[in-house]
Order: sequence, then C-alpha cells, then structure tokens
Amino acid sequence: MPQVSRREFLEGSALALGLAGCSRRPPSRPDARVSVARAPAYSQALYEDLRRLLVQHRLQVRGKRVLLKPNLVEFDPDAPINTHPLLVHAALEAFRSLGAQVVIGEGPGHRRDTLDMADAAGYFATIPHFEDLFTDLNVDQVARVPFIRPHSRLRSVYLAQSALRCDLLVSMPKMKTHHWAGVTLSMKNLFGVVSCGVYGWPKNVLHWAGIHESIADLYNALPHHFAIVDGIVGMEGNGPIQGNRKHAGVVVAGQDLLAVDATCCQIMGIDPHRIQCLRLAAGHIESRLRSIRQIGETIQSVQTPFDLLPEFCSIRL
Amino acid sequence: MLSILASQNPDGGWPYRPAAPSWTEPTTYALLALSLGDVAAEPLGRAFGWLRGLQRADGGWPPQPAVPECTWVTAMVALLGPDRLGAASYQRAIAWLLEQTGEDSGLLNRLHLYLLGNAQAAQAAPGWPWFPGATAWVTPTALSMLALRKAHRTIPSPALRRRLELGTAFLLQHACSDGGWNHGCPRVFNYEAPSYPETTGLALLALHGSDSPAIRNACRLAQVQLASCRSPEAQCWLRLGLLAHAQLPPDAAPPMRPPRTIAELALAQLASAAEHGHNVFLE
Repeated sequence: MPQVSRREFLEGSALALGLAGCSRRPPSRPDARVSVARAPAYSQALYEDLRRLLVQHRLQVRGKRVLLKPNLVEFDPDAPINTHPLLVHAALEAFRSLGAQVVIGEGPGHRRDTLDMADAAGYFATIPHFEDLFTDLNVDQVARVPFIRPHSRLRSVYLAQSALRCDLLVSMPKMKTHHWAGVTLSMKNLFGVVSCGVYGWPKNVLHWAGIHESIADLYNALPHHFAIVDGIVGMEGNGPIQGNRKHAGVVVAGQDLLAVDATCCQIMGIDPHRIQCLRLAAGHIESRLRSIRQIGETIQSVQTPFDLLPEFCSIRL
Repeated sequence: MLSILASQNPDGGWPYRPAAPSWTEPTTYALLALSLGDVAAEPLGRAFGWLRGLQRADGGWPPQPAVPECTWVTAMVALLGPDRLGAASYQRAIAWLLEQTGEDSGLLNRLHLYLLGNAQAAQAAPGWPWFPGATAWVTPTALSMLALRKAHRTIPSPALRRRLELGTAFLLQHACSDGGWNHGCPRVFNYEAPSYPETTGLALLALHGSDSPAIRNACRLAQVQLASCRSPEAQCWLRLGLLAHAQLPPDAAPPMRPPRTIAELALAQLASAAEHGHNVFLE
C-alpha cells in the first residue's frame, strides 16, 4: 500500500483544503436538500426537467468548470448497466444554460477501451462532439490525494486530475443494486475517478482496502460534488452488471451525495442505515438522515422496491 | 512510425494521448513498435534514458514518474529485452517479476477461502496483480508470462519455468465458460460472466506453445470475436493471439476503427508485423 512522505502529505493536504475551499457547500454542514423528480422515460422532457432541477439547487456555475461523471461499466444491449446518454446530454445542456464550461469524464474499471464502450452505449450518437468533450479518467494525469482520517486501509489514492481540478464534479450513476456494496449510487460512482493507469483494470486495490471504507474515503476526499442519479430505468438483483431491468421512473439530484444516495435507497426499498458506506461516511447517520429534505416528489409516492439477492435481504427497508 | 515519433514528449517518453505527460506503458508500446523499423538514434536514446531513469531500486517500474510504486508495467518494459534495456537493468526487472504474486494466493487468503468452503479457489495457481497487494488478474499475468518466456529463452532457469507453468495454470483456471477470458472474474454469484475479445487475444498469445482442448476452444471463440471486432486494441490482441496458435484465418477481421492512442497505434503495427513473421512478443 502507498506510503505518504511528509512533503506529499503536506502537498496533498493543501490540495484537499483548497478543494474544500472551492466547494459551494460548507464542509461541516452539507446542503441536504434532495430533488426527487418523476421521469417516466428517456425523452426530450428530460432537458427541461434537468434545467429545473439545477435551478432548484441555485447552483452558481457561470464560468465554472463542470465535469459530468456518468457510470460506464460494460455494454450489453439488453441490460441497463450504464447511465443513459440522453440524461448525460440533458445535464450537459442544463449546466451550459447556466453558463458553465462542461466536460465529461469516466474511468471504467473492467475494460480498457473506454471510448469504444461509450460508443456502444450510445454516447457518440446522442452527444454531439462527444469525443472532444470526453476524458478517459483512467489515463488522465494523476495526483496523490491523502485520506484524512481514513476508514479504509489506504492512506492516499491516485485520482484523475480532471476530477480534482474541476469546480464541480457531478456524479451521474445508474440506480442499481450491487452484489458487494448493496447499492451502487453517486458515492460508489466516485470509484471512476481513481486511476486505472496506476491501479489497473479493475481497481482491485480499493476492494482489498475495504470497498465500503474506500467509498466513504473517496466521498470525504472530493468535497465539491453534485449528484444526478439515473433512476428512470435501474437494475435490481445481481447488479451492477448481471441484474435485471427495473423501471423506477425517477431522477434524484442534490449537492450532498450521501443525502442523495440515502434518498435513492429509500426509493429502492432499502434501509440506508444498513448500507455500510453511508454509515461510515455519515459519522452519526441518524442526524445526517434527519437533516435530509426532499424537494418535489415524496419518497412514498415514487417508492419502487428493487429485488435483492438473498445475501442482501437484511438491508430491506 | 512517423505518427509515433511525432508524439514523443521532450522528456523522451510517450503519453497515452498527444500533448500529455509521459507514462511507462505507452512509452514501451512506442519503443516496441519503433523496434520494427529504422529509427534515428536520438529519439531512441532519449526514450531509453527516460525509461532507465524511472527504474526503481527494487528492479521494477512505476506507471509514471509521479507514482513511486512499481506495478504491472514492469512486464511491459521487460518485453524490450536485455539488448535494449541493458543486462543488469533487465535482470533486476525479471527478478522483480518473479517475486510478484497476487494477494489472493497468500496463505491467509487461501485459508480463508478454504474455511468458506471454496476449496477450488483456495488451490488456484498464483498469477500476477496489476498493483502490489491486490488480486492477480488475466492481463498482468499474460504480460508477465510473455516477459518471462522471453527471459527463459535467453537464460533458462527452473524458477522461470515454474512461474510459467503456474501462469499457464492460472489462465486456464480463469477462463470463462464461453471459452475466452475477461478481466479475470469468470463467474459472480453463480452467474457465468462473458469473455472480452481483448483479454481473450492476449491470454492466447501468452499461452503460445501450449495446446489443450480448452485452448483450441478459445481459438474458435477468438475467431468468432474477430469477425465482428472493430476496436483496435481488441482486434490486434485477437490477431496476435490467433497467430500464436497458427489459427488466424486470412481476411477474417473487419476494417478496424482508426487508432486513437499511442498504444493502439503501436499495437496495430506490432500485429501487422507479426502477420508478416516478426512477432516481438514471441521473439
């Protein structure tokens, strides 16, 4: 495991503090408002829906660099594995309408040809000039970022500089169950900013360091984020790749990834208290969950229980 | 060749994509491709200077200068051979590779798997990890085998032969049910995961010289994958893998998507050269 020299620690700490300073939300009290919007299909209506969501959160992104980070894992035409490209394009246009400079980046964990996978998943066909906007975070330049009070065995991690240098990292996961973590949502999606060029395909170092713990550490190390979850068609059962299609018909968004993921869990019929990465990242999860305020639809009105593997029946709400 | 040379950074290395910092992997791919032709001494000198300067005291190479840990890229560098790297540097690299195994083959992990009732996984042959302290996977194992086989041809040793045998066993144990290979996880929760074309091709290349029904089956699958594969990386590894077993059908591959990265550009040249009898991975 990486050891951090004093100089690297100080440099990384300065970077982390600088990032925290750029954040729009105070680090000690994240904005826990979460938008829950009905979205029955991948249609043109998403463009207006996304604009409305961003306005609800009063994001000040004019002139800022925004990195959209969808979830690209593998491509199977019959399985809802990846974030739908229409939602990513709608987010791109919505942030642009607010004056942001928007790019897209992802670092998939299994296969090396990221652009080929993005092409198969429809990104080239849906998003004009996709290749000009896209950065493969796996082979981006890296910076070593220390984990302050880590939960995992790692003391630092190499992250893509595009994710560190943007003003706002927008995590755009698919709403899915996960056969190791229980769920994979906006916090788990941060694995994509960890460099495969350093750690390999897959980023198995994170698993040995503790998958739940690594998720919590990455959430704490990247303070300036926003989440837009593709819950229009998600995946239930043996996710994140081999599960079944699940229509939930929602888009969930907010500035605090933990609050967004906890809300998604409840929509999926999963108890957020029983998701270990949420517990670790929250510290006092009861108070964090109590502070969450949903905007738009109520959880009850859109709740759609996702099927779970038998091994995960204990996380059912 | 000219495209590759034009992408060289002033420090002597190559980036994954033009106008970015140098990394070890694309630099090695570029040097392997440049070894196919007549190239001026100056860019090669700068490249090898950059590469030699990166070798760490333990004999391995980091993926790039900002990362002080040695990783799987050491296998890629070792493919350049003793004549280009220098005998001492090369021997230290081979020694580093021989020491590497996946964390999954450690005694504690094997005991843990055995107690969980997974006796088959507990007895799996050791492969190579991407990064020290992690599990062994197909790609770093295949690349390490190619590097060690090259070393074994120069200076045969029982230790090299033993690791090559174990590497072969690792690859055969990690084949998917369809006959090919994915990243190294053939099944999850009783679900049989499909293979990928690029890893199937690379594993077949690493299994050069071996023959079994499983390998012949993998060759048949690779031929099917090649017929619909347009990714430069995947198509090149499939061609190299099938060539290694004399199973590459003529005109089997569709037109390849233009290479986007230095590694893809170099791989395309290496695969073409192999089809003309000059396979740098097996010489």
